[in-house]
Amino acid sequence: MWWRSASFILDRQQNDAALRPDTSSTVTPPPPTESSSAMGLPTDHNPNISAYYQTRAAHHAVVTSDWLAQAQAAAAVAHDPPQSTSTADPDKPFSVIDVFNNWRRQPDLAEAVAAIRALAAVIRSSQASTMMQLEIELKKASDSLKAWDTTSISLTAGCDLFMRYVTRTSALEYEDFNSAKSRLIERAEKFGEISYKSRKIIAMLSQEFIFDGCTILVHGFSRVVFEVLKLAAQNKKLFRVFCTEGRPDRTGLRLSNELAKLDVPVKLVIDSAVAYTMDEVDMVFVGADGVVESGGIINMMGTYQIALVANSMNKPVYVAAESYKFARLYPLDQKDLAPALRPIDFGVPIPSKVEVERSARDYTPPQYLTLLFTDLGVLTPSVVSDELIQLYL
Amino acid sequence: MPDVQALVNDFVNQLKKRKIEGSQATAKQTAEVLRSVISQQRVPHTNQAAALINAVRAVGEQLIAANPVELAVGNIVRRILHIIREEDLSLATAAMAGLGLSVASDDEDDMERSDQPILSAAAVAAAARSTLRPPSLQTLLEDMPDSAAVPHTSSSGGDSEGKSRSVDKGSRGRKLKHDVIEAVNELIQDISTCYEQIAEQAIEHIHQNEVILTLGSSKTVLEFLCAAKEKKRSFKVFVAEGAPRYQGHLLAKDLAARGLQTTVITDSAVFAMISRVNMVIVGAHAVMANGGVIAPVGLNMVALAAQRHAVPFVVLAGSHKLCPLYPHNPEVLLNELRSPSELLDFGEFSDCMDSASGAGSLHIVNPTFDYVPPKLVSLFITDTGGHNPSYMYRLIADYYSADDLVVKGRPTTGS
Repeated sequence: MWWRSASFILDRQQNDAALRPDTSSTVTPPPPTESSSAMGLPTDHNPNISAYYQTRAAHHAVVTSDWLAQAQAAAAVAHDPPQSTSTADPDKPFSVIDVFNNWRRQPDLAEAVAAIRALAAVIRSSQASTMMQLEIELKKASDSLKAWDTTSISLTAGCDLFMRYVTRTSALEYEDFNSAKSRLIERAEKFGEISYKSRKIIAMLSQEFIFDGCTILVHGFSRVVFEVLKLAAQNKKLFRVFCTEGRPDRTGLRLSNELAKLDVPVKLVIDSAVAYTMDEVDMVFVGADGVVESGGIINMMGTYQIALVANSMNKPVYVAAESYKFARLYPLDQKDLAPALRPIDFGVPIPSKVEVERSARDYTPPQYLTLLFTDLGVLTPSVVSDELIQLYL
Repeated sequence: MPDVQALVNDFVNQLKKRKIEGSQATAKQTAEVLRSVISQQRVPHTNQAAALINAVRAVGEQLIAANPVELAVGNIVRRILHIIREEDLSLATAAMAGLGLSVASDDEDDMERSDQPILSAAAVAAAARSTLRPPSLQTLLEDMPDSAAVPHTSSSGGDSEGKSRSVDKGSRGRKLKHDVIEAVNELIQDISTCYEQIAEQAIEHIHQNEVILTLGSSKTVLEFLCAAKEKKRSFKVFVAEGAPRYQGHLLAKDLAARGLQTTVITDSAVFAMISRVNMVIVGAHAVMANGGVIAPVGLNMVALAAQRHAVPFVVLAGSHKLCPLYPHNPEVLLNELRSPSELLDFGEFSDCMDSASGAGSLHIVNPTFDYVPPKLVSLFITDTGGHNPSYMYRLIADYYSADDLVVKGRPTTGS
């Protein structure tokens, strides 16, 4: 893989450096997705399918082919024993990744929240006696979490956000260590509630933008966008939804099912018919896997294309994303991201000489986005960088 | 308080009949009416800020309903609500700091106290910051002191020095009202001097021998141009007349009287002239949260012409025009249709109209405002300096608190 931006190389080096000492420490060695097959490390997930994609598939109930069942079975076998031992057997070394995976399997819990809960478990089980020790332990844990799945943006963002909070709290230096520790745990617990609440907040904020008689184009299945549309339907708004199919995992089909259950008029369009239908559309609503520092978003493959079409036809593109998805990334172009690979079922055998583009997501630059609905309010893309700078300054 | 109610009703009537024109005049009057509402409001001993906020909110709701298109009214109502919150918090912080000090000095023997006051000043300050600031990633992480500090404020004084505290509270109530009125006076002052502050920046934007285009009439633009002229800049001004009210004629007269080289053009000549123009400077009716502008009719066309020829499109707006709302269908919902008499004289086309039923084949539509989307605007010049359209949210975050965005509607139990 050829990484174009120097910053990414630096990140990789840092990660690698952080990984090496881990192998000897109590934290289990995290198998990095990229290098694992080359290094021959045992992995608990299929190297061809990124962990990011597995989560997505699990959350969004994409069951298109048997590979997923296999992957999930493999994951379950690998994960289940630690789940029982980590609670029953205190002698076994504590592993963040196991805890994280346990949390992650809850269908409604976002990955970032699972990561923060896992870090809270680290604090709870930690034997550190000073803030500095705890911080180092946490740093190690969050690094291994991040390295476990380098492709997941919200995981990285969640870890960063929580680490930032820890360092800020210790910087304040009030109270003694134990109360600071319990504060951190409390905060982590609270964060889960915030993530539930933020979807509701986003849904409320976006209501005013959905006017009667409008047509909304939605790409893929996003839990936030679904919440928005659900609330609008409950508020008796009259609107129509166009769902893209979302090939190859057909997440759009699921959204159209759910919307049909709510009696919202839905029309399915194949992904290539976006431009054809765009003149009927009043606004485009998409979710995001991550919101990056430029104010652009990283989302399911096809978002960029839809945003481009919408922009050229002067239709607003709205993004619904929780604030814990704000990530400190600045992708310069599409290839400037760790690609999340996925298998694509074409229905017919593909000759081995034919290469297949298997990336699962793309980057949409900020100039094609109109507004972002987050739990921090309705933001223009440029606010995102402002927020991130303020926090990480 | 019959006199305040009469004052409010009078103002509401004027707004409804559109007797007050221009956002500056409206803003100023709104602030003055609300000031008298505050000064007449009796404040209870506890929770004075809430009483003031409710009073302002109740009146504000009437005023906004009286002329929903004049966004300056709502802006000022929200500004004043924000002022009340701010003053209340600064008083609370000061009081807490004082209390913490006295506790530390007086009660050395009282050991059980010593565990709570440590967090007082810092925690209250943090809480104040987090309540006043709009929600952000930082406050998302740090809203703990908020819940920790508020019960502390109410409970801590109860034990020993009850008497002195109540006296203190009474004076605090008066202090709050006094401070708020003081701040509102400052706001009124700011509104009336915003021209000068904007005009001060003229010299940085207008250069020698430039050609400036403007449309219609705006006092802010007039002052801005004259300020540059006074600094010995020589430049030309094209004034598009601004049909159907032709206020551009008035502006052109004023400019010519002050010795500026002025040319009047028709609105339809904007595209023909724009290639010779270096900068477009216009006034605005309101600036929305996304950086979009509600402006006199015709300006969207000017903005498009400017964009076509890559001419900077600069909007002058006092901070009272800054509206924290997002425009939803602004061409219709934030617009007003004025009398057709501005277009046609009475009786001129009467043969086209069926006077009996009123349903002829001729319709006359006379909208007042245009919506200029943020991407057509190059720069906003406000009394605090020049800003990019995408930066408007930050000014809004400074001037308004997030709780006040919805003034009317449900009774606010949460805030």
